[in-house]
Amino acid sequence: MSKFYAAESSSDTDETSSDDDVPVTSTRSKAISQKRFLLSEDEEETTHVVLSAKEKCWEGLKDIIKLMQNVKKIRDMSKLLDEFENITKFYNKSKAVILKEGIPRFYIKILVETEDYVNELWQDKEARKKMSKPNSKAHGTLRQKIRKYLRDFEKEVTDYRENPDVDEKEQAVPESLPSPDKSDKAKMFLDKPLKPANIPMAANDDDDDDDDDDWPSDTSESSDESDEGGIGGRQLTADYFLKKTVKDDADEKSKRKDRGKEPRDTKKKKEEDNEEWEQVRGFGKAKVTLFEKDTEITHEVVMNKLNEITINRGRRSTIRKDQVELLKQLRQVAEDNKLGIAMTIRLTFDLIAGLFDYNSKILDCMKPEPWNDVLGYVEEVIDLLLDNPDIVVAEHIAVESENVSDKEAGFRISGSPVTLVEKLHSEYIKILQHSDAHSTEYVKHLREEVNVVNVIKKLKKYVEYIGSSQNICNAYILLIEYVYYKYDHKAIVKGKAAASEDKGDEVDEEVEDPSTMMKQFCQYIYAKDSTDRIRTRAILHHIYHHSLHDRWYEARDLMLMSHLQEMIDLADIPTRIIYNRTMVQLGLCAFRRGLMKEAHHALVDIQSTGRAKELLAQGLLLQRQGERITPEQEKVEKRRQIPFHMHINLELLECVYLVSAMLLEIPYIAAHEFDARRRMISKQFHHQLRVSERQSLLGPPENMREHVVAAAKALKMGDCETCLKFIINDKMNNKVWNLFSNSNAVRSMLEMKIREESLCTYLFTYSQFYDNISLNWLSSMFGLDRPACHQIVSKLIINEELAASWDEPSSSLVLHRTEPTRLQNMAMQLSEKVSTLVEINERILEAKVGGGGFQSYRQDSNYQGNRTNFQSNRSGGQGYQGRSGNSNYQNNRSGAGYQSGRGYQGNQSGRGYQGNQSGRGYQGNQSGRGYQGNQSGRGFHGKQSGRGYQGNQSGRGFQGNRSGYHGGYLGGYHKQGR
Amino acid sequence: MSSTEPVVKQVQIGGLVVLKLIKHCEEDSGGPELVQGVLLGLVVGETLEITNCFPFPRTTENSDFDEVQYNEYQMDMMRSLRHVNIDHLHVGWYQSSNHGNFVNRAFLDSQFLYQSSIEESVVLIYDPLKTAQGCLSLKAYRLTPKMMSMYDSKHFTLETIKAEGLSFNDMYEEVPINIKNSPLSNMLLLKLKKENPVPEKVEYLNLSHSSSLERQLRLMMSSVDELTQESGKFVQYQRSAAKQHQSKLLYQQKRTVENAARAQRGEPPLPEEDFNKILRPIQQPARIDALLAAGQVSAYCDKVSSFSTQSLGRIFMAQAMDNKD
Repeated sequence: MSKFYAAESSSDTDETSSDDDVPVTSTRSKAISQKRFLLSEDEEETTHVVLSAKEKCWEGLKDIIKLMQNVKKIRDMSKLLDEFENITKFYNKSKAVILKEGIPRFYIKILVETEDYVNELWQDKEARKKMSKPNSKAHGTLRQKIRKYLRDFEKEVTDYRENPDVDEKEQAVPESLPSPDKSDKAKMFLDKPLKPANIPMAANDDDDDDDDDDWPSDTSESSDESDEGGIGGRQLTADYFLKKTVKDDADEKSKRKDRGKEPRDTKKKKEEDNEEWEQVRGFGKAKVTLFEKDTEITHEVVMNKLNEITINRGRRSTIRKDQVELLKQLRQVAEDNKLGIAMTIRLTFDLIAGLFDYNSKILDCMKPEPWNDVLGYVEEVIDLLLDNPDIVVAEHIAVESENVSDKEAGFRISGSPVTLVEKLHSEYIKILQHSDAHSTEYVKHLREEVNVVNVIKKLKKYVEYIGSSQNICNAYILLIEYVYYKYDHKAIVKGKAAASEDKGDEVDEEVEDPSTMMKQFCQYIYAKDSTDRIRTRAILHHIYHHSLHDRWYEARDLMLMSHLQEMIDLADIPTRIIYNRTMVQLGLCAFRRGLMKEAHHALVDIQSTGRAKELLAQGLLLQRQGERITPEQEKVEKRRQIPFHMHINLELLECVYLVSAMLLEIPYIAAHEFDARRRMISKQFHHQLRVSERQSLLGPPENMREHVVAAAKALKMGDCETCLKFIINDKMNNKVWNLFSNSNAVRSMLEMKIREESLCTYLFTYSQFYDNISLNWLSSMFGLDRPACHQIVSKLIINEELAASWDEPSSSLVLHRTEPTRLQNMAMQLSEKVSTLVEINERILEAKVGGGGFQSYRQDSNYQGNRTNFQSNRSGGQGYQGRSGNSNYQNNRSGAGYQSGRGYQGNQSGRGYQGNQSGRGYQGNQSGRGYQGNQSGRGFHGKQSGRGYQGNQSGRGFQGNRSGYHGGYLGGYHKQGR
Repeated sequence: MSSTEPVVKQVQIGGLVVLKLIKHCEEDSGGPELVQGVLLGLVVGETLEITNCFPFPRTTENSDFDEVQYNEYQMDMMRSLRHVNIDHLHVGWYQSSNHGNFVNRAFLDSQFLYQSSIEESVVLIYDPLKTAQGCLSLKAYRLTPKMMSMYDSKHFTLETIKAEGLSFNDMYEEVPINIKNSPLSNMLLLKLKKENPVPEKVEYLNLSHSSSLERQLRLMMSSVDELTQESGKFVQYQRSAAKQHQSKLLYQQKRTVENAARAQRGEPPLPEEDFNKILRPIQQPARIDALLAAGQVSAYCDKVSSFSTQSLGRIFMAQAMDNKD
């Protein structure tokens, strides 16, 4: 293969090496985004190797050439023919490129060589004979084709033939040609200066011009612009670098090639460095000056320079660090030359943008050092702007209409300090997200917060002075984001101090009270904000702040009045995360205030999903519904994470939820033990209970959940002391309760609540065993004082949850025993079930007899079911008379039985039911197992009285007549129902 | 099954069998699972004598104790017993059950298998809960010939049930049992009693009936639910069957009208089509489940009835005693 490349001249090499530059510099050119602060988004795809059209084309050609050479070696003519056709096809396809670039020499070379080869073979008759038939055929075709084809390239071919390339010379270069990856490039750079600089100037210029045509925003063009200073003319490049004479030509050459990366050196700089560094610098490292010494620094020059630098922004070839350096220098120069504050500001804007650009990936955070720089610059800018309010800075000012030089006309600068600070803020959050939350590094970063807040405060001052209301809103929300989640200990202390004495006044009065600050800002935002998003966030933060400081009613009212709960589904995800956080905080606040129901309501949505961690953006769940999340999702989620110091403790959250659920659920269960329509309040709590029930062996509780479950079990028994022991102990204190700022208050509140609820539970569960209970005993049993006890029980009585009354003289509770016992409850349930069964059976019957009422029966219409005989008699018209078995339906003549729907008379086995006149009672007549109902009601299920037994004589009871017991239960059962 | 009247009129159980059975239940029934075993004995005239038994190993869900091993175990056991000269004739099986909740498909299946291979076999149902309350609860059951013949047909539609005249009352019948100890063991017992007298402690007046009653009610409720469900299914079936019948009639009517028209025109009538192909007959729900549920409810009812009769008796007795004091 070396045979082929041999012919390539060194000018060829040069050309390709300049090609190498091209793809790198060119690709980003169109990606330069107008939004300078969001630029980094486009920069994620660093891995792509982008080839220029020319590169691609050359590459393709060379690939085919390689194949051709291989084929030639094995004398496979048909393959060679194929390849030849391929290459010509490829050539035609890339005509556009080739027209621009000129016919590549290696293409000519392969053509010529192939022709020679074919002709040679043609002459070699013996070899021809040996060839297989398809091969020789292909040989012939190829020969003709190639001859024909070469006619088009006559000139080039003769050129080539006159001056064929030499074999050995170019081994190394083509090796590196096809692969433009980094190492090769580096190698090439290293090679370059060593190469003899015998390249004709003109050829080079051609190449460069070509490049310029292709990629108009290319480096050379930017250098064109910078040349405007007076020294024009391409050919003068060498002269242009006035002080460069020391350097040898080669170096200069490579300099010129890499101009984009490495702006002009001057001698002054050079001399300061020592010689060893020179080469390294040659490959594009920075430390360069911008202007030659004698240039007069004017606004115009600086602006031009600035443009030149910024135009490279975002390109792949630009080394961002250099840009920053350049900008820094430029700024220095501007300051040195007293070009005015406006200029400095202008430059600083760009400098900041450059620093923000420093990181190419959006996911990575900035390094602390550049971030600190940015912070400093931003602060500086804002300071400057504060000092010079006459400078107008706004986003809407077009770059062209900027004015940084003419003071009289008023400075106008394009840019937005608010956006800058917002970007600063988001970078800061990113830095926090990326550092390990448990390291000292994190703490170090956290210390920066003060500075950030300072900057924001300055910004606030500035925009308050000058900005539009929207800007003010933006600044406020930024400040709020740093304040809302912080618990204001000072205010609490102050409040206490103020309550006791008026000593608190002298304690730093100038420090703003966060609460009033929040209030002021939020109200401003409510009034002035035009974007819904900021307002929503402000409201949420405000609620958060309120609930953090136990101002429950303010927080709740704000939440309800804003109607956020209805609209939050439409909001974007970060806002929803904030909403979740706010709801959680609201729930915690309600809990602290002892409002269990509210706490439960606020927390149930977050807790019931079991994804609290994800919903609060406090960590990633790698699995979602059994599936691993995709890396993209993971990336997105990662960006949403809340920094660690703002986290809400999840265990606390769960504990609060479970405890509130327990305090609601256990009394509810006790009160509605037999209610068929009982619903569970908290699914999760039930789940925990069930899990613990399933355990065959229950050890002492270990973790928070087990504690709560154990407590719930104790509470179920009305055992408040045990329950308290489980909820409030050292372990739980350490894990949960101490996390509250006013943990003692919370604990005493909890104790009170548990005592109350266990009293209720106890009364619900065990009241059936009491006739009366003394108040003293109750209060001592539950550790409540008498009035409190009295109050709770009275509440139960008033709400009709407990059928009892107070006997004031003896201060005891008299229980009315209206609740049916468990057994009675069961019997009632059973009766209900039986009656539904009967109804269904009736329906079966109805269907059988035709469903059209009973009028149409004939005397002998006799239906025989699986175990029932029905006989209807005409006279009655509406009933059935059964003769055998238990489930006979007997119609009595009076017609009442079926008229009223449900009369049954069991006549033989005694397990039947007998309907009497009104047709709805069940009467067992023989075995004594029946129930006897009276006129009203249906069965034991009295219709009028709703529920409960209604007996006819002795109240209720089992009236058995065969067995000879006549008493039944004597206990009164007079309640008509609840 | 040829004979309409079963040979065996009563079951005589050896004391050993009862004790072994109880032991098995006490030792093995850790959870809610039932224990089962095999009864051995022989038929003497009209009496089925059960003289020995052995338990089935407990099967858990995850053990791979399959049918083959099961039978192997059974055969091995019987062979070993024969070696020690014990009656080795297979005469039935036993099962523990709480509050008599044994009437279900599994029970029916296995008893059917037993009875179809060994005609005189019975099943002993032992209720550990009731026994714990002080009175041994041991009942012998077998399927009635009616039930057998119906089960044999494997068709549980309304028609077959009707044809058999089967009701939930006569699915199975109880066989009176009689526990008999050998004179030797009776002598031993007497001797033991004399040497080591048992303190006279009888809990005849235990008044705590509600918990047991509650459990029974709960069981009854679930059975009633089941029955309701079955009835519901049947209603559904009825409805769809009626609908289909309606459409069938309509179709036939149309067909006749058309045929009449064709006859007038002198054309041949349309060919008879299989109606079942046009409208697929609806599957009748198996009534066996309903039957079983009803049987179960009835069994519960009997239990509750006898239980509450006893309890009421106790209550009144206690009241009478209370008044005396």
